[in-house]
Amino acid sequence: MYLPDGYTTLDKISENDDYAVYDLFFGPNHPGMHGNFGYVLDMVGTEILRVRPNAGQLHRGFEKAMENKLWAQNLSLIPRVCVPDPDPNEVAYCQAVEAILGVEIPRRARYIRSIVLEMSRLGSFLMGMGGVGGALGHYSTMYLMMIDRDLILDLFEALTGGRVYHIYNIPGGVRRDIPDGWTDKLLELCDRLESKLPEWDRLLYENPVVQDRLGGLGYISAEEAMSSGITGPSLRACGVKADVRIDTPYAAYDEIEINSKLSEGGDALARAVQVRLDFEEAVNIIRRLVKQLPDGDYKLDLGNISKLRVPKGDAYSKVEASKGEFGYYVVSDGGLKPYRVSVRGPSMPAGMYLCHKHLRGMKIDDVAVWMASFAICPPDIDR
Amino acid sequence: MSDNILARAGKMHGDKIECREKYKAQLEIKTHRDYVLNLLTWLKSERYVHLSFMSCIDWIEENEFELVWHVFSYESKNHILVKTRLNREKPWMHTAINIWPHVQPYEQEIHEMFGVYFPGNPDLSGLFLHNWLDLPPLRKDFIAKDYSLALYTTDALGLTPPFDDIDIVEITAEESRDGE
Repeated sequence: MYLPDGYTTLDKISENDDYAVYDLFFGPNHPGMHGNFGYVLDMVGTEILRVRPNAGQLHRGFEKAMENKLWAQNLSLIPRVCVPDPDPNEVAYCQAVEAILGVEIPRRARYIRSIVLEMSRLGSFLMGMGGVGGALGHYSTMYLMMIDRDLILDLFEALTGGRVYHIYNIPGGVRRDIPDGWTDKLLELCDRLESKLPEWDRLLYENPVVQDRLGGLGYISAEEAMSSGITGPSLRACGVKADVRIDTPYAAYDEIEINSKLSEGGDALARAVQVRLDFEEAVNIIRRLVKQLPDGDYKLDLGNISKLRVPKGDAYSKVEASKGEFGYYVVSDGGLKPYRVSVRGPSMPAGMYLCHKHLRGMKIDDVAVWMASFAICPPDIDR
Repeated sequence: MSDNILARAGKMHGDKIECREKYKAQLEIKTHRDYVLNLLTWLKSERYVHLSFMSCIDWIEENEFELVWHVFSYESKNHILVKTRLNREKPWMHTAINIWPHVQPYEQEIHEMFGVYFPGNPDLSGLFLHNWLDLPPLRKDFIAKDYSLALYTTDALGLTPPFDDIDIVEITAEESRDGE
């Protein structure tokens, strides 16, 4: 067989008279892969026989590094656990620290945190919806959504100074107050995002190609989803009304109305539609938050934050991120540094466990779509 | 929304468990290693269907590992931390994959990062580390800096420093300005 220079054949695993099984590395260098992660697929033709998750290529030892840094120093490390949706990490960590400290943050700080969380959710949903489009080859949808995501990042820059990583939440509140005129710009952006929804519907959700490709792919029942650790939009797409914002309210969500709609079906199409429904609701939640935004302090005075000492104890704090439940289990031994920080990422159950069930028998073209529909984000598997 | 789980747990399991409310809607149950699976099974039958994740803490001064299962109920909205302690010398724990199958990668990770054995788990192969020969890295007695110094200095790698065979020509500030 002729092969150009630099190309190699696939590894043959086994063969019999009828067929042979080949090993295919799906990722880390694959356009459908969302980071340095991969699946090793055993293939017969284009059909998958067996799957091995190939994790660890993005492992940066976050949990170990956090044990060697001050409580405040860790704030610059934790947003990196999830790149497209960094703020839930900051809020979950700060909430856990505040719970051990036994302090309650000012009301305005809770509202600002919620606004930041919803903006982060919008940005991540745009990337997620665009990712579904990209995995299906609808690149124009992805590019159009990236334009709007950049507008969100502009507002983040005006508020926090950072575009992708904001390092804005600190134990006790947020780093700085909202600048003058910023909320007006935010409301303008909300109007723009809402006006874009019909266009995206036409491009993506009403597109027959998208409906055919996503319909029936990666079906999961409500019972199975609940007992295999699936959370967030993927669980709501099975018709389960589960949302950390409603179940265990944090930040300002106990004072804000959340009318989340549910799509049903439990397949990739239902999950994609659920993200779109949640997106629409997140825009409305931002409007309500801005309308009810109270005056007052934006942070609690905890003294010099780099000399923060957290009493002995442990707490688990969770946040509804765009991909599901993001949680931080923080243990303190009363020192200047955390004793242990354990991260619950939303991608682990689908990315490391469900893949064995779902990918078997699937065609290779559907792997990227399946990953995008479960919003599998490798940095929170390798943390 | 309380389902009075602590009172019922006390009634059901008696002195085998030790439970308290830590924070609002966050409870803690401590038990012995051999009783954890009974307790988890009972909790699942009480509609605590969501196993959020599993974590491990190295209490090196007490010579113990602490395993924590995070369990949540979508009905009572309570989050329960089920905790148990293992001896650090020979740590092992019964696997929970028959109750929640997706606990498998978490156990695999804890085995790799702390060296805790989970008899019954079918796959405890390496998940993240590549060619790892040292102590499991999340143990407190593994010092990351010492590890790097032992492995990745030029001496350890058998390399000569890169500037040994290069003639270093000193350039004065004036000369460097002339070059521009």
